[in-house]
Amino acid sequence: MSTVAKYIRFALACWKLNLAGAMEFRLSFFMTAGMMIINNFVWIFFWQIYFHRFKLVNGWDVSDVMMLWAVVAGGFGLANVFFGNADYIGNIIVTGQLDTYLAQPKPVLLNLLISRMSVSALGDVIFALLVFGCFGKHTWSGMLKFSIALFLSMLIFVFFSVCVQSLAFYVGHSEGFIGQELLVTFATYPTDIFRGMTKVVLFTVLPAGFISYMPIGLLREVEPLFFGAAIGVVMLLVFGGTALFYRGLRRYGSGNMMGMRM
Amino acid sequence: MTLAIKVKGLSKSFAVKHKKTGFLESLKSLFNPTFSEVTAVHPIDFQVEQGEIVAFLGPNGAGKSTTIKMLTGILHPTQGSAEVLGFNPWQERAKLAFHIGSVFGQKSQLWYHLPPIDTFELMSRIFELPRADYLKRRDELIERFELGALMNIPVRKLSLGQRMRCEMAAALLHRPQIVFLDEPTIGLDVVVKHKIRDLIKEMNKEEGTTLFITSHDAGDIEQLCKRAIVINHGQIILDDTVSNMKRQFLKHKTIHLKLQEVPGQFNVPGVKLVKQKGAGIRLSVDTSQISIENVLSYIVQNYQLVDVTIEDPSMEEIITHIYEQRREEVD
Repeated sequence: MSTVAKYIRFALACWKLNLAGAMEFRLSFFMTAGMMIINNFVWIFFWQIYFHRFKLVNGWDVSDVMMLWAVVAGGFGLANVFFGNADYIGNIIVTGQLDTYLAQPKPVLLNLLISRMSVSALGDVIFALLVFGCFGKHTWSGMLKFSIALFLSMLIFVFFSVCVQSLAFYVGHSEGFIGQELLVTFATYPTDIFRGMTKVVLFTVLPAGFISYMPIGLLREVEPLFFGAAIGVVMLLVFGGTALFYRGLRRYGSGNMMGMRM
Repeated sequence: MTLAIKVKGLSKSFAVKHKKTGFLESLKSLFNPTFSEVTAVHPIDFQVEQGEIVAFLGPNGAGKSTTIKMLTGILHPTQGSAEVLGFNPWQERAKLAFHIGSVFGQKSQLWYHLPPIDTFELMSRIFELPRADYLKRRDELIERFELGALMNIPVRKLSLGQRMRCEMAAALLHRPQIVFLDEPTIGLDVVVKHKIRDLIKEMNKEEGTTLFITSHDAGDIEQLCKRAIVINHGQIILDDTVSNMKRQFLKHKTIHLKLQEVPGQFNVPGVKLVKQKGAGIRLSVDTSQISIENVLSYIVQNYQLVDVTIEDPSMEEIITHIYEQRREEVD
């Protein structure tokens, strides 16, 4: 069996176990996922009130904004369902909890990322699919483009966290690290309402712009420049984050904190 | 014999931030922090042969766990080299991990909310075990560790002893050639400790597994290990067989006496009265000053003896003595 096939089998086994662990507490499982769906629909409701009075917001119509929410919630959801440890890496490093992953014969970063699943993020994924069902283009190309948008968005969320959280190897603690929530905050507004420096920031250090522009630059019509730049940014984050993590691993100091795998 | 572990000049230092007490010092430290290098493990050398059970002892902060973490590839050393089963642990971590197992008493690899059987399944994927091999090995371990009734109960509902048995079985699924056990009996009651020790011995005897054990429990060392390496302040202070260690440090013996009548004072050089309750007394004999034979003849000549018991000091006392002796040398 090839190495990739072995990694896939391992990842599938880990995801199955994460889901089984989450479903151990039935009521909590349904409530957590359900509450996230409701929470997201509250925002949709506010946007619907806006579009009831105005047709456009800086050129974005109601379906663009709805698809924006689908891409952000879906990408964030997939990131936290399948790679739920991304935002916890810093804490895991500083508390010495990497030992378990380092003692196993699998790539540490992969093993670490897939070892946690967020139940509320499952609600985000379901919400994204519901919104796509209502406002998306139900053609083969529409579905393909939406899948690509979700995939790129997921990778941005995951590896943005990997980059930021891996700094814990170098600075020694993770308090105050920005997380995916900040990306969500800026990504859930149409990109075109931001101007000047803010827009520069959103397409550089805080790459929320590459997520929030998906409805226009990929779903409505493929803009080669944006699409190419989005793929470039994803690759930069993936390779940069991985390099930062593995370079930092040499500085890992472990610790004596007691630990259980939840 | 083939070498399982070969360590040469292995050391580890950490940069530690220093700050004096008080808010002003905190503020100063924010802009101008001062660091100093603390050596957790001084350059150490030792070898372990395949099939050996070695106790790696030392007080808290001695450098035991740091050494084990370097040998399992978890930590990169500052200097020196190590070979574990022919692999460089920190450069060939993943390859080595297929051949070694580790049980850290304070760090669980079982999934807290799921039954052990689920973690075992995941372990079979992590260690890429062929299905048939895995099932055979799993059933064998379930039988040996008597886990049948526990396999489908969520880990959070297991007692500490039950969990430790599951942890050990999980670490053995891939038939490791070396198992690193860091405090395997920590927090366990006497009965469970015995059970775990029996299982460790059985594993070593039947599968020839090399065992590298750190423990603060003297019973673990006495009942399991033939050899002990004692580390303190990051330096190896003793590397000898457990029997030699006992002989070397058995400078005192305890004699329990029950006499016919209440005795007078014991004025024998090298003999100290530890406790007296009526005609029952406990004496501590310094064997470097007087032999046990001479003490006994003195007692038989001067008193009417009802009963006598001679005891060696416990392993715990021997280890405490080794630590303290070294501390005195350092001071």
